[in-house]
This record gives sequence, structure tokens and C-alpha cells, in this order.
Amino acid sequence: MLLLGLGLGLLYGWVINPVSYQDTTLDTLRIDYKTDYTLMVAEVYHQSNDLDWVMNRLTLLKNESPLHTIEESLKFASQAEYTLPDMFLLRDLHNALKENN
Amino acid sequence: MDQNRGNWYLLTGLILGLLMGIVYSWVISPVSQVDTHPSLLRTDYKDIYRLLISRAYQANNNLPRAEARLNLIGDDEPALALAAQAQRFLAEGGDHEMAVILANLSAALQSREAAENPPVQPTGTAAATDSPKNTEENGENNPDNPATSTQELVSSQTPPPTESPPFILQDSSPICDPTLGESLIQIVATNSSGDGIPGVAIQISLGTDPKDIFYTGLKPELGLGYADFSAEPGLTYQVDILDSGLIISDIEVPTCQNESDESYWGSWEIYITHPN
Repeated sequence: MLLLGLGLGLLYGWVINPVSYQDTTLDTLRIDYKTDYTLMVAEVYHQSNDLDWVMNRLTLLKNESPLHTIEESLKFASQAEYTLPDMFLLRDLHNALKENN
Repeated sequence: MDQNRGNWYLLTGLILGLLMGIVYSWVISPVSQVDTHPSLLRTDYKDIYRLLISRAYQANNNLPRAEARLNLIGDDEPALALAAQAQRFLAEGGDHEMAVILANLSAALQSREAAENPPVQPTGTAAATDSPKNTEENGENNPDNPATSTQELVSSQTPPPTESPPFILQDSSPICDPTLGESLIQIVATNSSGDGIPGVAIQISLGTDPKDIFYTGLKPELGLGYADFSAEPGLTYQVDILDSGLIISDIEVPTCQNESDESYWGSWEIYITHPN
């Protein structure tokens, strides 16, 4: 009976009424939102050329490194068939970060 | 007797197991926090997200894209949320440039809304609505193709959110209005049609000492072209409509009298207009 109760408790806590999250952080965003976030950073960088600011913003996504973040975003953007101008913006930022490394 | 006792043990076991399962699934190993939506972000991260959207808008001037992104955050009225953040930013001594960037996007949304619905919403409430079209564009409710938010947004170029200076001074005078509750320097910027102009930067100085910068349109409920500043009695202020060369000097809080002949501090009203 203990095991049955345990199973029912887990079912309730994980499936029927799991912990609902509020107040999340940027690093938990789904990959498409993360990619759009990165694209916004790329759009701003295209105008400002401020790599320090870029690093600061991308660090909030808590990946291995900002360069890794851009690489993930480029991969997703390519799979999701982003428009060419957006791909160029991401690629330009990727190149700038690579040169800076 | 023994049989009854056995049944109770079974029930106790079930309840204990249930409690252990719930504790494990809620506390020890809850559902992992991944793949979340921007609307669930903590308030400070929402601020970062809004500011980034505003900066991206400043860079690409793409209002539909900015609006779609703002819809993801889930604010009831994105334009008001931007304006409120700009005000908070200024109140906390934040970077003026960032406040302007936030205010510009807020103003752009309000201007567009005012242009679309002038008779219904003359004070210009937020433009962003969670229409089915936008929802689809955002990729919400469409997990199979989440990237549509970006790829389908139109790269339309929108006009700048504010009209260019210079402004002409229409009126600058003390007013006695006991309903205001405090002494204010109120500025109303309009165009030649009488419509309020948001995003006009105003510098307030004590004498010639710059004290603060604020913007029209950050209190859209009072009009798109409205801005105010809390003034202290006994001080002489100067208002500078930035980038227009228009300076209004010798502004002082007037002394007023109510119907019972009691004195109270009044306010000052300034009307400026753009001739084009």
C-alpha cells in the first residue's frame, strides 16, 4: 500500500498538479525565445558595434559562453528557416565574437 | 478486531506513501524548469527583455516586430508597461538614454493606436492586443513551429515616433486648481491639429541648473502630449524643450485662494505646439 500511495503521490505531483513556475530567469527560455533574444542582441549590435554590451546580455542566458549561445541560435534559426537578413545579423555577431575570442 | 486493525494499517500506508510521493515530486525533484515562456519571467528579467525589445526597435525601426515581441511578455497594455518602466528608470536615477529608448517605443505604439482609433481612444491606450494573428505570429500555441515569430514578421519601416522640433510656445501661465493635490509644472505638446505629441524631451532647471529630464506621453491616461513635474513653492524653474531651442523661464508656483479664502499652492501650465 505504501508503494501504491507513493505512486499516486508522484502521479499527482509530477503530472496532475506539478509545481507551476513563475519568476523564471532568461536561461530557462525555450530555444525559439532564446534565439529571438539573441537576434535582438544581434540587431542592436549591428547598430552599436558594442561587443562588451553584447557579452553582458548574452551571459544572462548562462550558456557555456556567448559564442556557444550564438552558435545554438544560428543552428536553430537555420532549422526554422529564419529570413536571410536575420541570419546575416546572427552570422555577423557570431563572426565578431569569434574574432574577439 | 484484528481484521479492522489490518485495514487501518493499509490506509495509513497509502496515506504515508501519498505524502512521500507529493513531497518528492514537489520539493525534492520537481518538474524541471526548462522551455519556459517570456511571460513567466521574473519582473527584473521582464524589464531587461522590454529594454532589449526597445533597443532592437531603435535599431531596426520595425514596429510590428517589436509589438509581437512585447506581446510575448504578457503585459495587459505593453505601451503603458514601457512608459511605466521608463518612469521607474528615471526615478531610480537610471540612464536617461535608456529611458528615452523605452519611451520612444511606448510613444510609437501609442501614436499608432491613436492614429487607428482617434474617436474611440483619444488618449491613446496601448496598441498591442493579443489578436489571433499576433498569437500565431509569435509562435504561441504553435509548438510545432515556434520560430514563426521571427520569420513571418514584416520588415516594414515605420516613421519616427515623434515629430521633429521646433515647437512654438502657445501659453505659459500659473493656474489655480485645488483638485491637482500638488504643485505641478504641466506641459502639453500638440501638433497643428491639436493632437498630443508623445516623446518630447523636456529639461527642467532650477535657474539655469539642469535638474531633471522628462518626456511627454509617459502618462497616456492624461493625453499623449502631456508631461508634468512636481514643483516646490519658492523656487524659480526654467523649462527647456530639448532640441527645439524653446526655453520658458521664470516659472514659479503661484499662491491661490479657494472659496473659503484659504491659501494653497497652485501649478503652472505650458502649452507648446508644433507648427507642421
